[in-house]
Amino acid sequence: MRVLGIETTCDETAAAVVQLNPGGAGEILSNEVMSQIAEHAAYGGVVPEIAARAHIEVLDRLVARALYDAKVKLADLDGIAAAAGPGLIGGVIVGLTTAKALALASRKPFIAVNHLEAHALTARLTDGVEFPYLLLLVSGGHTQLVAVKGVGDYLRLGSTVDDAVGEAFDKVAKMLGLPYPGGPEVERMAAKGDPTRFDFPRPMQGRAKPDFSLSGLKTAVRLAAQRIHSPSQTDVADLCASFQAAIVDMMIDRSRAGLRLFRERIGDCNAMVVAGGVGANGAIRRALSRFCGESGLRLILPPPQLCTDNGAMIAWAGIERLSLGLVDDMTFAARPRWPLDSNAEAAHHGKA
Amino acid sequence: MKILAIDTALQAVSACVVDDEDLDFETRETIAMERGHAEALLPLIDRVMAQVEGGFSELGRVAVTVGPGSFTGLRVGLAAARAIGLACEIPVVGVSTLAALAAPLIIHQNPGPVAVAIDARHGNVYFAAFESDGRALVTPRIASAREAAEALRQEERRRETTQLVGSGAALVAIEAEKLGLAVEATAESFVPDIIFVARLGLLGDPDLAPPRPLYLKAADARPQSGSVLAEAAP
Ligand SMILES: Nc1ncnc2c1ncn2[C@@H]1O[C@H](COP(=O)(O)OP(=O)(O)OP(=O)(O)O)[C@@H](O)[C@H]1O
Repeated sequence: MRVLGIETTCDETAAAVVQLNPGGAGEILSNEVMSQIAEHAAYGGVVPEIAARAHIEVLDRLVARALYDAKVKLADLDGIAAAAGPGLIGGVIVGLTTAKALALASRKPFIAVNHLEAHALTARLTDGVEFPYLLLLVSGGHTQLVAVKGVGDYLRLGSTVDDAVGEAFDKVAKMLGLPYPGGPEVERMAAKGDPTRFDFPRPMQGRAKPDFSLSGLKTAVRLAAQRIHSPSQTDVADLCASFQAAIVDMMIDRSRAGLRLFRERIGDCNAMVVAGGVGANGAIRRALSRFCGESGLRLILPPPQLCTDNGAMIAWAGIERLSLGLVDDMTFAARPRWPLDSNAEAAHHGKA
Repeated sequence: MKILAIDTALQAVSACVVDDEDLDFETRETIAMERGHAEALLPLIDRVMAQVEGGFSELGRVAVTVGPGSFTGLRVGLAAARAIGLACEIPVVGVSTLAALAAPLIIHQNPGPVAVAIDARHGNVYFAAFESDGRALVTPRIASAREAAEALRQEERRRETTQLVGSGAALVAIEAEKLGLAVEATAESFVPDIIFVARLGLLGDPDLAPPRPLYLKAADARPQSGSVLAEAAP
């Protein structure tokens, strides 16, 4: 089985072809990503209309390239999948409409994929992990701990009550005058700094419900930064290192609470899986592998290009759904909000 | 050759198939709507194509309106048209909504120039004007109704009445009359007749009229300014 996957929910335009081999393993035949970071850099964040314009400009060529690289034609595919949300509606509409029209004109099944579900299932593409497992999703738009019980079967254990972790990295970078996107810049500066110089808060520490909160930490960094007049490179490095240390502590503490709740509610946990752009952070990766080692838990850290937004994860989620006979029709509407766990109480303000 | 034409740029979702060798063949559907273009378009194309024996493999070309119009709306049509072009391995040609609105007047009835104004809100219009033979008189632009009327006056050589069409026609007519121009706002539809999108698509050259958006307006975004540190610095 082969599926084309299209991703346009944020600032990455992506298309990929993934194949399900006999035996159940996934194989990425092509994976094209075009980042719009340069287009948004001057604005310090993603501008929805600029993103939508960039998607329509390149998407059909990117799809053609993904097919070419995979050495397949549309006729050789078994389905066409697109992320239908959650995300920026203008971009989602471009990807969704493209996928529907490709499916209609080539008479192939169309699969509308939840972008978060695609993140959640990536570990099955890369490592073939069995359900159930614990997912830590940490990106620019999302921060949650989810019990992944099956395709379409999720239990949200906890989430952020304010900002996402990636968003906090980006905001801290911005207040320190570091370029966008801030995550990698903060990590780079943190490597040169003293993580003990500033004693930043670890919000939610010790709470049983595995929720996150970033706004207090962000404010503490802002206040500390403002107290220093014309900060040196060393000051900025120390601020970054101390901020990142607080994030790392919070992630581990919250993951511990999440694992406890998982075992209580669901039972044995096959693995801990990390998804989202923040999963590229080395300090977080090292801390998580220590934590999983101590907890006797298998840790799955997909490679960075599969942690951030990509088409392969959409294609793979399409394969998982198509294998279960789950397809969608031409009326499927884009969903700017689309929680993984439909029973979870409404996200606090859509960022969870 | 059969051509599939698509329009979602303004307050309607439309598609049709016509054939330049078999002039009797025609299948079309138009639904007027303010929003919901993205959900309505593919089912509508499906119904239109169901009337074409042989389906998508019979198509030789796709035409699509590129704007000006609703940013999201025109991207819906463009995404669908470009995907169908890719799937069927056929060329896709872009048609301006301004030309499509003017075309029926140019082809059929009109002796004088034709000006098109699409309401772009806040007193502005997307505007263009054409000679009676279809040549450009005023190139596509976004302008206030007043500026549009002035652009028209600069091109007024012969004392012929200019026909004004589109949802902004009445706005421009008021300003044009203030300037003493001879204009007539026709009560034509505010959305392109999809058959004319198809006809212009058959005439157009895909290399010269690529299926790329014609927004005429920059994205609304302002660069964000610096860090708290920069602000705190002396
Ligand atoms: N090394 C890093 N350390 C910390 N954060 C990082 C690092 N690399 C990337 N990030 C952060 O990851 C985020 C981008 O991740 P990703 O592309 O997965 O998310 P998104 O598209 O913003 O959101 P979503 O996938 O939830 O819609 C940004 O906020 C970025 O700063």
